[in-house]
Amino acid sequence: MYCTIYSGALLGVRAYLVSVEVDISRGLPAFYMVGSLSTEVRESRERVIVALKNIGLEIPPCRITVNLSPADRRKEGTAYDLPIAVGMLEALEMIPKGAAEHMLFMGELGLNGEVKAARGVLPIVRAAEEKGIKECVVPLANAREGAVIPGITVRGVSSILDVIHFLTAQNTDRENILPAAMVDVNALFDSKCQSQEEKRDFSEITGQEMARRGAEIAAAGFHNLLMAGPPGAGKSMIARRIPGILPSLTLEESLEVTAIVSVAGLLEEGRALVTERPFQSPHHTISQPALIGGSAVPRPGMISLTHRGVLFLDELPEFQRSVLDALRQPIEERKVNIARAGGNVTYPSDFMLVCAMNPCPCGYYPDKNRCHCTEPQVRRYMGRISGPILDRIDLCVELQQVEFAHLREGARGESSADIRRRVVKARERQRKRFEGTNYRFNGDIEASAIEKYCVLGPAEQHCMESLYSSLNLSARAYHRVLRVARTIADLEEDEKIREEHLLEASFFRPSPEYWF
Amino acid sequence: MCMEKWKEREKIYACWLCNFPYIGNGQLHRLTEICGGPEGVYQASPQVWGSVISPEQVERLKEYTEKWRPEQSFEKMREQGIEIVTVCDKEYPGRLKNLPDAPYGLFVKGRLIREGEPSVAVIGARECSEYGRYVAKQLGSMLGKCKITLVSGMARGIDGISQEAALEAEGISIGVLGSGVDVCYPAQNRELYHRLANAGALVSSYPLGTPARPRNFPPRNRIVSGLADVVVVVEARMKSGTLITVDMALEQGREVYVVPGRVTDRLSDGCNRLIKQGAGVLLAPEEFVEEIWTIYDRKYNRKNNGKCSEREKTEDNKNRVSRRWDTESVRRNLPPELEAIWEALDFTPRSTEEIRGKLPAQYQKASIVAGLMKLCMEKRAVQVSPGRFALRSMAE
Repeated sequence: MYCTIYSGALLGVRAYLVSVEVDISRGLPAFYMVGSLSTEVRESRERVIVALKNIGLEIPPCRITVNLSPADRRKEGTAYDLPIAVGMLEALEMIPKGAAEHMLFMGELGLNGEVKAARGVLPIVRAAEEKGIKECVVPLANAREGAVIPGITVRGVSSILDVIHFLTAQNTDRENILPAAMVDVNALFDSKCQSQEEKRDFSEITGQEMARRGAEIAAAGFHNLLMAGPPGAGKSMIARRIPGILPSLTLEESLEVTAIVSVAGLLEEGRALVTERPFQSPHHTISQPALIGGSAVPRPGMISLTHRGVLFLDELPEFQRSVLDALRQPIEERKVNIARAGGNVTYPSDFMLVCAMNPCPCGYYPDKNRCHCTEPQVRRYMGRISGPILDRIDLCVELQQVEFAHLREGARGESSADIRRRVVKARERQRKRFEGTNYRFNGDIEASAIEKYCVLGPAEQHCMESLYSSLNLSARAYHRVLRVARTIADLEEDEKIREEHLLEASFFRPSPEYWF
Repeated sequence: MCMEKWKEREKIYACWLCNFPYIGNGQLHRLTEICGGPEGVYQASPQVWGSVISPEQVERLKEYTEKWRPEQSFEKMREQGIEIVTVCDKEYPGRLKNLPDAPYGLFVKGRLIREGEPSVAVIGARECSEYGRYVAKQLGSMLGKCKITLVSGMARGIDGISQEAALEAEGISIGVLGSGVDVCYPAQNRELYHRLANAGALVSSYPLGTPARPRNFPPRNRIVSGLADVVVVVEARMKSGTLITVDMALEQGREVYVVPGRVTDRLSDGCNRLIKQGAGVLLAPEEFVEEIWTIYDRKYNRKNNGKCSEREKTEDNKNRVSRRWDTESVRRNLPPELEAIWEALDFTPRSTEEIRGKLPAQYQKASIVAGLMKLCMEKRAVQVSPGRFALRSMAE
């Protein structure tokens, strides 16, 4: 007997359907699995047979052939256990013929028959929905994740016994055996916003006005930010609070983020959607594949896990140069293409880069009372950061040592919610401005389009000229100042860039002239 | 005529002897004394050399002599504009001659110090603060205007800044190097190096081509202080090479002047300590110039007679030099709100938060930032790091 069951496979953050074809015929007892399978897929043979035996279903001696189609694409992962088991049962006529029609199955089987969590449920369910499949049976742990996709029923199972009951039951009883997972997306967004605000708030940061302002501008215009300052000044503290002042994720963004997290297998059990802006702070020993994505079987790297969020690189000069240099293209293109023997995959990587560093090896430069580093030492330390990365940073702020008195006073600053309101407004202006273009934020404006979006009046033009000469700006730095000034004007709800915006923007410019 | 020819020959061999790296200064003096001059040394047998230097050095000297082509090498050196001056020459600076460990030979590129002119050594930290930078500039430019020779080590920081300012003011400056006189160290001072060769002099006691080594600098420092009548310390940490120079200067009987700093500045610790130990204090530049002349007159027992014209010239120049550290003129032409921000600045970098603390409450942080950047734009302030500002030191 022969039958076909649908399952899914991942390609980057997208998925395609895989049909699991099971044939059972008479002959010498054997179990063949074909279809370009990796070891863990091949091993599912043992898991399936033992799991079925342990729930009391003996497989009669027969010749079993399983083919996963399309047979020329490499299959990975353990999520094919469940569809193979269902296919075998149907081929053996243990469940009625056609019971699993228009359904998709995925899940790993334990030897006792339990169904364990799988990777990439969200993109696979989405692909199933697009291909017209009506129902998906997924591990219980991932049911909520799949249920986010409208127009398709997603049922969570914890044991293969439930699946058998479900498939053998009448259509009317089915809902009682395995209820469809339900997720109220709107409620998810409402509740999450609040909890996030409670967690980490800008009001906990004492002083550091300039750094706060820098973070606000960076968030509003999606500029990359560099923070320099002595140890313990609060660089990481600010960085961790930046996701909180970015506008909340939209549903669409949230789906993108969740898909990546799901593909990486990092989504918490029972979680439906990621509703907070991602924030990642990799240690500076991180390898290139871990940051960019890769390995023989491509997996999303840190930059994709922070898609739509904040990638925080603490101790920037300690990162390997080659690792940092690999960031250049993803920053520019907002996606990363990974080519491996197994194929080409593209992961989105639209992140905001926030870096922190000490200004010198001891950390106290330019406070000459505490810093004993010599000029060449400071220069060497700075030189470890690759220039092309510095070129992609629009804003630079310096944090000061917090004085004890300030700490005691606990002078609370503005809360994240207040800052976010301004940021949202500024982003709204940008959205309108860039409607119908490739750009979304001021941080994206390319040099060629600067003239178009950053229009200066005669007085401002003059101001910019004298800034250009007195601050020894390079052409690149000049564009950066204009971009940032555009964002500052947006924050002030000013359509025209004024002189004070230019002056403030130039204050935040990263300059190679500092630090020596 | 004959005498001159003989002198020339002596120089060729002085060049040979002084370019030999493996010999001490004391040994040079003794060797030439025994043999009666560098040519004598060249012609003397290795046994004679052996009476002064160790057998190992003799071997090396033999090897070195075989390769050395006296005339050609000397010509080549001349082509580069480098002269050699030994203690026997009359061009040899009198100030150095009297030192117990006077360098036997000096390689000179440019015009060496003339007798009968006061000279001042300005020394200080390489990693100097904005304050040090400012003082060094002012001091250098004033000494330059008064045509008082400024001696220093052409290092990064105070040394180079003061010498640059002196040259800027069309003064005379001598750079004493810790490397061969044909080697520019630090490389970033290349421009200064060439200007010194043209408008002043570069001096070194090390063989040509010697790279800069840390151990070269203390002996170099004794020449810096030796060439000067007065040594001024602008900024120095508690334990620093500058203080070693000061010790040498005191041993050589030079007057030491110190630019005072704040007690909280680690970069002024060395200076303040010197003040406590009784060093002279440099408060106002023109007062200092007068003191230089007094010291100079006392030292050389001159009673304003022979050098009257020079002195008058200095008086003349003094009128062009401002009466005080010139910060007043900068303030002019500033709108009141910018002036308040300008007032809140100092030569030591201040963070924006500190600056804000010094201003009345009505100043918003955005307007302070804009004001600061405006001052930078007008080159009255400088953003030393992303969050710190200092007054810009101006030579004029």
